[in-house]
Amino acid sequence: MKVVLQDLTKIFPSRNKNGQEVVAVNKFSFEIPDGKLIGLLGPSGCGKSTTLYMICGLQQPSGGKIFFGEDDVTELSPENRGVGLVFQNYALYPHMTVKQNIMFPLENLKGDDRMTKTQMLERAYHVAKLVQIDDLMDRKPSELSGGQQQRVAIARALVKMPRVLLLDEPLSNLDARLRLQTREEIKRIQRETHITTVFVTHDQEEAMSISDMIVVMKLGVVQQIGKPQEVYDNPVNLFVAKFLGTPPINVFDGEVKGEKLYIGEQAVLDVKGAADQLVHVGIRPEGFIVDANGALECDLSNVEVMGRDVSIVSRHASSQNPVIRSIVDADNKLPEGATKVRFSLKPHKVFLFNKDSEERVYFEVK
Amino acid sequence: MVDKSQQWKAWIYLAPAIVLMLVFTVWPIFNTIMMAFKEGYNPMYELNPEFDGWTFGLQNFIDLFAHASAFTNALVNTLLLCVLTVPISTMLALLIAVALHSIKPLQKLLQTIFFLPYVTNSIAIGMVFSVMFNIVGDVGSPDANYGVINQIFGTMINWMNLGSTKVANYAVMVIYIVWNALPFKILVLLGGLQGVNKQYYDAAKVDGTSKTRVFWRITVPLVSPMIVYVLITGFIGGFKEYSSIVGIFGEDMGATGQQAHENMNTMVGVIYDALPSGQYGKASAAALVLFVIILIVTLINLKISKKSTHY
Amino acid sequence: MEEKKIDQQVAPQVVEDIDSTIALGTTSLVDKTMDESAVMSERKIEKVKQRQRVAKIVGKIGVYVFLIAMALIVLFPFYWMIISSLKTKDEYYLTQPTFWPTQGLDFANYAQAFKVGNLGVTFANTVYVGIVSTALSLVITVLSAFALARLEFKGKNLLFAGMLATMMIPGELFTITNYKTVVDLGWTNTFTVLIVPFLVSVFYIYLLRQNFMQIPDELYYAAKVDGTSDLKYLWKVMIPIAMPSLISITILKMMGAWNSYVWPRLVASDDVHALITYKLRTTQWDTDPMYVDYPVQMAAVTLVSIPLFMVFIFLRKYIMKGVARSGIKG
Repeated sequence: MKVVLQDLTKIFPSRNKNGQEVVAVNKFSFEIPDGKLIGLLGPSGCGKSTTLYMICGLQQPSGGKIFFGEDDVTELSPENRGVGLVFQNYALYPHMTVKQNIMFPLENLKGDDRMTKTQMLERAYHVAKLVQIDDLMDRKPSELSGGQQQRVAIARALVKMPRVLLLDEPLSNLDARLRLQTREEIKRIQRETHITTVFVTHDQEEAMSISDMIVVMKLGVVQQIGKPQEVYDNPVNLFVAKFLGTPPINVFDGEVKGEKLYIGEQAVLDVKGAADQLVHVGIRPEGFIVDANGALECDLSNVEVMGRDVSIVSRHASSQNPVIRSIVDADNKLPEGATKVRFSLKPHKVFLFNKDSEERVYFEVK
Repeated sequence: MVDKSQQWKAWIYLAPAIVLMLVFTVWPIFNTIMMAFKEGYNPMYELNPEFDGWTFGLQNFIDLFAHASAFTNALVNTLLLCVLTVPISTMLALLIAVALHSIKPLQKLLQTIFFLPYVTNSIAIGMVFSVMFNIVGDVGSPDANYGVINQIFGTMINWMNLGSTKVANYAVMVIYIVWNALPFKILVLLGGLQGVNKQYYDAAKVDGTSKTRVFWRITVPLVSPMIVYVLITGFIGGFKEYSSIVGIFGEDMGATGQQAHENMNTMVGVIYDALPSGQYGKASAAALVLFVIILIVTLINLKISKKSTHY
Repeated sequence: MEEKKIDQQVAPQVVEDIDSTIALGTTSLVDKTMDESAVMSERKIEKVKQRQRVAKIVGKIGVYVFLIAMALIVLFPFYWMIISSLKTKDEYYLTQPTFWPTQGLDFANYAQAFKVGNLGVTFANTVYVGIVSTALSLVITVLSAFALARLEFKGKNLLFAGMLATMMIPGELFTITNYKTVVDLGWTNTFTVLIVPFLVSVFYIYLLRQNFMQIPDELYYAAKVDGTSDLKYLWKVMIPIAMPSLISITILKMMGAWNSYVWPRLVASDDVHALITYKLRTTQWDTDPMYVDYPVQMAAVTLVSIPLFMVFIFLRKYIMKGVARSGIKG
């Protein structure tokens, strides 16, 4: 089931009389292809959860339309949309067992969809098996670990065989190790069921690692939509560049003059096709090459060895971050007691953004 | 680590409370229990130690339950009022609380109105209810003023005057007690509802759960600790029902012409009525019976609630 | 019970089934969702929307009708109290009760009520007893709560548990012996008897102690380091922090005095010491015993209720908070 969002807008009225109304989501248009896993990504308050709730039907859009396939579901209430929602804190009914929780949505079915007890049990066990909790069916949610609760929540959302599965910050309540494991699990379940899935997260790593496509949002406005690697390799503005990647991108103040990029006094890169202007220079940590003849000279702070790679921490007067973090191959040995380090740059890992608009300034990469 | 100076300081701060409690709380516990088991005890005996006319025994309790006694009547009244009013008021309060919780406009205003009866004098408002049900003039005569309740419903029921039935008396009491009990229960239950994570309702909504099913399968279980709380306090309050009856029926505790073994008196009423005439033994025995009943009901309630609210 | 049985019968078999269908399971899930989506035709959506809207509106109207009807029932006695107090005696005795005074408003009922019930004195008595007992009670409560929350001493837990245990016992059990005690002491028909026996409230001590416990220890130690005395610390730090609770306690205690009936009736029923609620119920509101002057009676009831309404209007927040937080049953 593809999901189409058309100029989707949500405006919250102001809390007090004189206050500004808040535009939580501004003209969001996007076609979610059938059977894909989509990550809505952005810092808190960017409107990603609001978008999810509008797709779900728990919140009414102020403008725009939502289609499931060809059906306009904008005004339908959640139960008539055929969606499954997994809440951030799971919202498992604490007084029901796992089995009762999973069967609860089925017991609500009316008319032709009504199921017998046996059918419900069968379906519940089927889904439980899918998320691998079929041996926990008689426990109460309070007797489960966070990861198990998460699976129950997914099972409960899946049991009705929804047309669209929605997950709100599905991993945020899990510890680091479980998070890795569970995100693979979500990917697997989604692959097996082929249900169009939208999930919301503020964790870019999480979004990048499992999504077929990511949507980066900021203050209610969609910044960029694309495959994770594409967005990472080709951010359209400074915000997206900064938001994606760990360690984060290094940003310098720079200037384009005569198709050359200057950081401080040094011309560090040829930027063919870029007009003269002041720019933010974003350089991915992996975009640095240790090079005795490199144009970019930095004050060396320290070197962190991380096995295969080393992370060189250095400083530069034009850097907007307190330190520059570059990741290079461990073969690159720095002389003992060095205080300076020189880099040359990989052009495709360097992004320029206009100083004022923060929009991407493109240049030719050979 | 116990600081020496804190020792005596603490006792000084606590002294007023402890002294008062020793006199008015601790001593009464022992004394009342003792008096309950003293047969033929009369306070006058204490003035004359030689005339020691009492022995230990159960006579006070036996007397309480003697044939057609005021106490058995009061016991039945109290139990019936409890059994009738507590479930009704709890259910009604829950419905109102859920309804209040579901609306936005007027919520504050309605909430305030529903809380109003809490801050009233139960004798004073009892007198108002009494006036609303009371017949002024000759009962049975079409010329009499049958009171506003009969007027509204177009009936001529003798609710509480001379010759009224026990059922009618009960009806009046139940209506008044429920009216009186609602605000506290609504407030506690509404507080409970507001404490329930809204996501449970969102989840139910996504699953297309009907309103009635949400109420019985989600709301009731999730606020069950509050329900148990209002049930327990409701039963305890119900067993001590007294001033509401004084408010409606006056100090006679019943419609004009009713005898002590057929009026609306309650257990607490029996206890208080016995005091001015010095029947301490009887009053003490009645108080002990009351205590035991309250204890049993509370324990049963807790037992049931442990089963049903455990999650 | 029945549910369990079914589960046991079905579960193992189901699991087996799943084992065999698990591979197919994923595809069947997909098929099913596709089917369902295909069924959702345009017309059906319109119908669902329509039904949704109607259900929503009907539901909302139902809720409001119910709430407003209940609110009117709650308010009616108050309305009836006030209009009855303003009717003339003649109008009151009409065969058909009138819902609005038609023969003019008779404010003289209030003057009459004041006179017949000697309400000036009883009001003063009640306020006096209320203020004195509230003030003393607050001092005792604060000191006890402080000791139980802040200070360490041997037997503290035992003492506190013992105090809490007394809350289980119905007050009537105490009243019997207390009645005997005050009669023996010759305290009947004094203000002392109305004040002293109820100065200690374990529940208020408990409430305030909980409040005090939430204040971090560091504040106390800091004050000790600065050489602040216990009482000064109590006055300057703990009492301001616990102010909302203290206000709640004050209101409830004052209301308690205003509404007390049982104890005053037993021990202080003479005219000089009578409290308002007792007086209200026992006064003969007419010189003619055959025709009770209900309008005057209702005027008296209104007079007794007005201060409570004032408290409600101005201090509602404190009471509601106090009740909601701690479940004080008034």
